[in-house]
Amino acid sequence: MSNIDRRTLVKGSLAAMMAGAAFSRAAFAQSSEPILLGVSGPLTGPNAQYGTQWKQGFDLALDEIQAAGGINGRKLAYSFEDSQSDPRQSVAIAQKFVSDPRIVMELGDFSSPASMAASPIYQRGGLVQFGFTNSHPDFTKGGDFMWSTSVSQADEQPLLAAYAVKRLGLKKLAVLHLNTDWGRTSRDYFVKAAKEHGAEIAVTEGYIAEERDFRSTLVRVRDANPDGLILISYYSDGALIARQARQVGLKQVICAASSVYSPKFLELGGEAVEDVHVGTRYFPEDPRPEVQTFIAGFKKKYNGVEPDAFNAYAYDAMNMAAAVVKIGGTDRRAIRDAFTKVKDVSSVIFGKATFDVESRRVKGAMNAELVVRKGQFALWDGKPT
Amino acid sequence: MSSWLDYTINGLIVGNVYALVAVGLALIFGVSRLINFAQGSIYLVGAYIGWVAVVQLHTPLPLTIIVVAVAAALVGLIIERFGLRPLQNSVRIAPLLATIGISFVLDQLVMLTFSPNPRALPSQLPDVRFQIGGGTIGPLDLLIAGVGITSALLLFVFLRYSKLGWAIRATAQDRDAAMQMGVDVNRVNQAVFGIAAALGGISGLLVGMYYNQIDTAMSLQATLKGVVAEVVGGAGNVPGAVIGSLLLGLVESYGVAVFGTSYRNLFAFLLLVVVLVLRPNGLFASARQAPPEPLTGTFIAPSRPVRIPRWALLIATAVFAILPLLPVSFYVLQTLINASLLGMLALSLTLVAGTIGQVSLGHAALLAIGAYTSALLSLTFSVPVGLAIIGGGLMSAALGTALISPSFRLRGHYVSIATLAIGEIVSLVILNWESVTRGPIGISGIPPLSLFGYELVSPISIYWFSFIAMVVLALLQGRLLGSHLGRSFRAIRDDDIAARAYGLSLNRYKSLAFIFGGFAAGVSGGIAAHLYSYINHETFNTQQSILALTVVILGGLGNVVGAIVGAVALVGLPEVFRIAAEYRILIYGIVLLLLVRFRPQGLLGTM
Repeated sequence: MSNIDRRTLVKGSLAAMMAGAAFSRAAFAQSSEPILLGVSGPLTGPNAQYGTQWKQGFDLALDEIQAAGGINGRKLAYSFEDSQSDPRQSVAIAQKFVSDPRIVMELGDFSSPASMAASPIYQRGGLVQFGFTNSHPDFTKGGDFMWSTSVSQADEQPLLAAYAVKRLGLKKLAVLHLNTDWGRTSRDYFVKAAKEHGAEIAVTEGYIAEERDFRSTLVRVRDANPDGLILISYYSDGALIARQARQVGLKQVICAASSVYSPKFLELGGEAVEDVHVGTRYFPEDPRPEVQTFIAGFKKKYNGVEPDAFNAYAYDAMNMAAAVVKIGGTDRRAIRDAFTKVKDVSSVIFGKATFDVESRRVKGAMNAELVVRKGQFALWDGKPT
Repeated sequence: MSSWLDYTINGLIVGNVYALVAVGLALIFGVSRLINFAQGSIYLVGAYIGWVAVVQLHTPLPLTIIVVAVAAALVGLIIERFGLRPLQNSVRIAPLLATIGISFVLDQLVMLTFSPNPRALPSQLPDVRFQIGGGTIGPLDLLIAGVGITSALLLFVFLRYSKLGWAIRATAQDRDAAMQMGVDVNRVNQAVFGIAAALGGISGLLVGMYYNQIDTAMSLQATLKGVVAEVVGGAGNVPGAVIGSLLLGLVESYGVAVFGTSYRNLFAFLLLVVVLVLRPNGLFASARQAPPEPLTGTFIAPSRPVRIPRWALLIATAVFAILPLLPVSFYVLQTLINASLLGMLALSLTLVAGTIGQVSLGHAALLAIGAYTSALLSLTFSVPVGLAIIGGGLMSAALGTALISPSFRLRGHYVSIATLAIGEIVSLVILNWESVTRGPIGISGIPPLSLFGYELVSPISIYWFSFIAMVVLALLQGRLLGSHLGRSFRAIRDDDIAARAYGLSLNRYKSLAFIFGGFAAGVSGGIAAHLYSYINHETFNTQQSILALTVVILGGLGNVVGAIVGAVALVGLPEVFRIAAEYRILIYGIVLLLLVRFRPQGLLGTM
């Protein structure tokens, strides 16, 4: 909870429950009160780490927004409700936000089942559901109140394929992917793009999120005799795969999707992730001012810790929310319309983010080709590894 | 050919890892006939204590192991003393629920202390690799194997030749007789929990080092795999647990070899079901061994249910029926909709678990079958939603009963484990059977609830719809329990041998219970699918099954009203505790423990 007193919030939500379906009564919030965004995401349960990273990104963005004078003089704040990324809880939270007149728009949820189960409620309730990690191709098809800044895998995977095939010169690939809606969609886009570049896909292996042992999978990979491994993974499983690949003696080039871009990947992978290539949306030495502000601010606020991809998504999302609220004010429908009007919002991931009104997503993510050198992410210098 | 050698070695290596958890589980099961669901949490605690020792205190490896073992043993002793000993004279199911509550509390404490971010736990052994076949093994593999095999051997010798070991075995065979012979049963239990917890802690440490990664989500997976390995080897059989673990590792590895990575766990759980059906006592149970469960059904002890007068029920129903007309927020209604959906699942489970004594830990599978059937019927074949939901219920009844029927010969805990496995199998089939279920992409755009062509989209109408569905199912179940069928069900639960002697066909009645229960759960899943508009293989997961069982035990086994009260309580409590943000699941776990402690027969008592 960033900058509203918990007690006020408790009182507020009790009051909101009492007020019931009657919206109008509390609709005229005083202008001294902060403009409130609802966040539905995991703070406990198996995905809790991502909710924690969201908070870091949100809080940093809010500090900057407040320092710049807030939203037309009013503060911006959020109320984070823990859904455990469970659809049963995210629907209850959705009703809670929809019936709470102070909430002007919603951010989240994390997983597709939790987010998309809540979509019908947000759509009917006329509250924007701004899903900034929702890459599921059907997420924004839930209705005109669903908007997303999640990088479309149709955009990201061809960039990764170009990195692996054209730049690194890999011709025969083994693809390991998380067997989730994200991993599956990504894999399909990657395979398509890699084939267009003339590479052969030797084997693809999907694994479940709880998997920790990849030795047998890697034997399959070895037997397919690829010259490169592609990881469509998050940082924790990506680090596990890289370690075990090196342990079983696979020496092929490893190239990973941007979701492994995290200091945790380096910490968990250790020496095994040395020379791993990562296609990302930004990099630490990126001269773009928005990236430098983000990284410097993040390190300052969190004792020198480097931000990761999920921090960046959350940071961008909060900045986007501020930009939208600036245009749309506090009326929920006007906020929905503001998404169509907002232009060139400075963004770590996109450079300048503007929504494509048709798909309600942002196109044209930035691209950076990194490699791990001496335990740090560095811009790839074009030298083979 | 060389690949097969590699697959074999890899299977043994990972089996090795499972063995560490399985041995602790086996020891506890051997003595207290309890599946300790908190074992994975002790493993988690061990991993994090190890992290503190290694990363913060820079202890050398032998000292790290001792620190972790002692600290984990302490946790085990505390669990035994304050969590389980007070329950030793209550129903046998109460300790099971208590271990689930304890695991919530421990996992949350670790998460709150260390944050949910994964951490690196560096190995303190030299990084040398030995070439074997096409792969390599390192010193940690050898250490893990050493710890697993040594601890199993030591335990075997200890149980066979030491005085405390005799006492442990005597207690395992017959607790009351052991007490009469002067065995201090509490001390035995303490010893067992201490040893098992120390082992669990060390396994968390070593596995954490092995993967150079620890995180707070590792506990449930460890418990699941450990339980599978333990039961395959023969529950309560310590050397069997090691062999069961290795076998599990091999089967998984060969499964990956032949069919690919995404089928891995499917093989683990199929192995479990096959072993349970063919050799219910596990692969290595000796012929002389006493049956693992008592002959008569003391698993669920009857208690005096709280009689609720009919007028009170009528008034309560009426109040809930007119609730949407009162000034109640949609949030409260949505919470009650969730409670109705969980209530229907609980009705189903309270029938099969409470009334006929088949404690299912895989009930979410019935939800999933109902949900997918209903979603696909309405999407692909344009069946009206109302009919599609009923179709989901029927499919759930038919398929659920067919899947569970091979396990009808099992008793007590073994039913729970078989259903747990079946639940996982259903979820993995949904993940892999892409042509029908669309695999991990899931099914989106499921039409909203509708009745006679009218879409029910407002929370009020959805509330009425699910509330009425639940009340109808509850009334039907009440009728069922009052009929001769209900009496036969309870007779089978209380004493299946006597019931058989009276000419009751066990399988037929168990089937009937699962058909009715499957229908209720399927309807609940069907409604959920149309409510959410999107489902995938993760929507109905193991946590749901465990939650449903908690509801049923909380409400009172077999108790129809209890199931509904329990559902409202367990959906409502986490919502009420929202104020506590990150702490809410911790509080929920503590409340659960207190309830089990002071009302082990459930709020409304077993029927």
